[in-house]
Amino acid sequence: MASLDIVENRSPLRPLGRALSILFLAVFTLWTVLPIFVMFVSSFKDLLQAFQLPAVGDWGAIGIFFDFDPTLAHYYNLFANLNFGTYLFNSLAAALGSAAISVVLGSMAAYSLSRVEFRGKKDLFFWIISTRMAPVVAVLVPLYAIFRSAGLIGTLPGLILAYTTFNLPFAIWILKGFFDNVPYAIEEAAMVDGASRVQALREIMPLVAPGVGAFLILCVLFAWNDYLFASIIGSGGAKTLPPATRELVQPQNIQWGSIMAAGVVTTVPMLFLGLLIRRYLVTGLTMGAVRE
Amino acid sequence: MASVSIRSVWKYYGKTMAVQDLDLEVEENSFLCILGPSGCGKSSTLRMLAGLEHISSGDIFFGDTRVNDLAPKDRNIAMVFENYALYPHKSVFDNIANPLRLRNMSAEEIASRVTRAAAMLQIEHLFDRKPAQLSGGQKQRVAIGRAIVREPRVFLFDEPIAHLDAKLRAHMRGELKHLQRQLRTTTIYVTHDQMEALSMADRIAVMHQGVLQQVGTPDEIYHHPVNEWVAGFVGEPPMNFVDCRLESQGERLYIAHPSFRVPLTAQQARQLNSAASAPDVRLGVRPDDLALSNGSVADPGDGAALGRIFVTEPVGGDTLVDVKLTEEQRLLVRTRAGFDGDSGDPCVIRLNQDRIHLFSRESGVAYF
Repeated sequence: MASLDIVENRSPLRPLGRALSILFLAVFTLWTVLPIFVMFVSSFKDLLQAFQLPAVGDWGAIGIFFDFDPTLAHYYNLFANLNFGTYLFNSLAAALGSAAISVVLGSMAAYSLSRVEFRGKKDLFFWIISTRMAPVVAVLVPLYAIFRSAGLIGTLPGLILAYTTFNLPFAIWILKGFFDNVPYAIEEAAMVDGASRVQALREIMPLVAPGVGAFLILCVLFAWNDYLFASIIGSGGAKTLPPATRELVQPQNIQWGSIMAAGVVTTVPMLFLGLLIRRYLVTGLTMGAVRE
Repeated sequence: MASVSIRSVWKYYGKTMAVQDLDLEVEENSFLCILGPSGCGKSSTLRMLAGLEHISSGDIFFGDTRVNDLAPKDRNIAMVFENYALYPHKSVFDNIANPLRLRNMSAEEIASRVTRAAAMLQIEHLFDRKPAQLSGGQKQRVAIGRAIVREPRVFLFDEPIAHLDAKLRAHMRGELKHLQRQLRTTTIYVTHDQMEALSMADRIAVMHQGVLQQVGTPDEIYHHPVNEWVAGFVGEPPMNFVDCRLESQGERLYIAHPSFRVPLTAQQARQLNSAASAPDVRLGVRPDDLALSNGSVADPGDGAALGRIFVTEPVGGDTLVDVKLTEEQRLLVRTRAGFDGDSGDPCVIRLNQDRIHLFSRESGVAYF
């Protein structure tokens, strides 16, 4: 078995390279984590304290950044007065709903594309992904017209359908690759063991679980972070978190505190989802049942 | 248990013919090996029996039941795959239990049956492991366990031990044969290894390029091959072939080659005459049926030839000696261990006249 050891050879440039990479990583970490940190901390500050900043260059006074009385007022305001409970639910329903539908339909389509030979298979496969080649904006106007005549504008099913349209091709492409990696012999063994075709498919589903997990994340993230569809197709009855947050920016008043709290509310569920599925993903394919 | 009969079965992949007009009967409780090189149609045949491949034309019967249109799950067969095809995410116990679970058997019944099958294969201590944690031989046992756990009508083996190392393979040959004798289940075993076929099977079906060449007991296949192809494929080291001509001198018929001539026995001559032969023939003789001695003689006489040693290969119990008769013609001889001879040394080869085979040079059909 090949080992994953990286062979390091001694050279005069090595310490320099090491120092540079540490520096880069430090800057990069600061760059990515700082805005989230500021958002997180600010959401617990009242407005006056949130805008207390030390003078430029006065590193000694950085302490005032942490000198505040924690308050949940912004969160209370979000859920009690601004109806964010509904928006959170809409976001969850739209993201999970479209993810679930995409996984079910996607794995069936991917399975067929992986296992069955038929004429025009390559063309079909390409056509499926070609639906993702146009940017969302390009199809938004016709989609709006279609959705309006179908009465789907401003409804949760409409939003789920819109996300599914965009997630499904992706699901089929990702999952087909995973199905291709599962030896057909395992299904054949299941069928000889007494399973029907569908039971055999269920038998191998755990083997494509990492693929399903990876796809779920992408699918949920796409829907969760989407602003364009949500603001146009979901506008009104199916408002999700991003457009709701955007509405906190009003001409006469930008509600910074609530915006920060809304940012936290939007970020935290995805953070947990990531942690949850990461464990699942690293479990990886348990290979070795079939001789390579 | 059931007998299996394959009647006029053809298999096409698109326009490519894989199996041609195959007729084969497998008696109840017997062990049939389908032997042939890769691409000869043996695996296609097995997969048609399993229901994993569509039958292009013809019929397959298990007992009195025509199974052409039955799904694999309804054929009551068990199959061991070349690559084992274990479920990688399930433990050994669950792998073996799977066919029973699919039949909704009770938990106690499953536990007792799995334990019994595992005991037979000595893999009970592996129950909690996953396939990735097993060695090749253990995986193979688990795959067999999954097959025997539910007393099917027919066992199908698709080169199950081809990927094991030589020593383990030899061991498993005996184990599998013993297991089959113990369970008395009709077994069809596909292999490209003539050693496996000869050592395990009740009967062997030899296939080549989609066509069944010969069906017979291992003894028949080895000693009475019906054509040159079977003769050359079965046997290790392979049979020697020498292009000869038939010559008659007085009453006697001779097989003549520039470097030797062999008189035919009366019976051999009769078999030859009845086949109305052309004078161009091909002599086949196994390395075991040749005797070798060092040195040279003025006239070796009938049934013997002079040659020069090309190379000697000691292989433990025997020595294989490659002898050059003429510039193009070599003969491989199996002789005693410790045979001594350098490359280029003269030697005398003597044929065992009763053990020679003669084939038509045109069609390859055996005269005897």
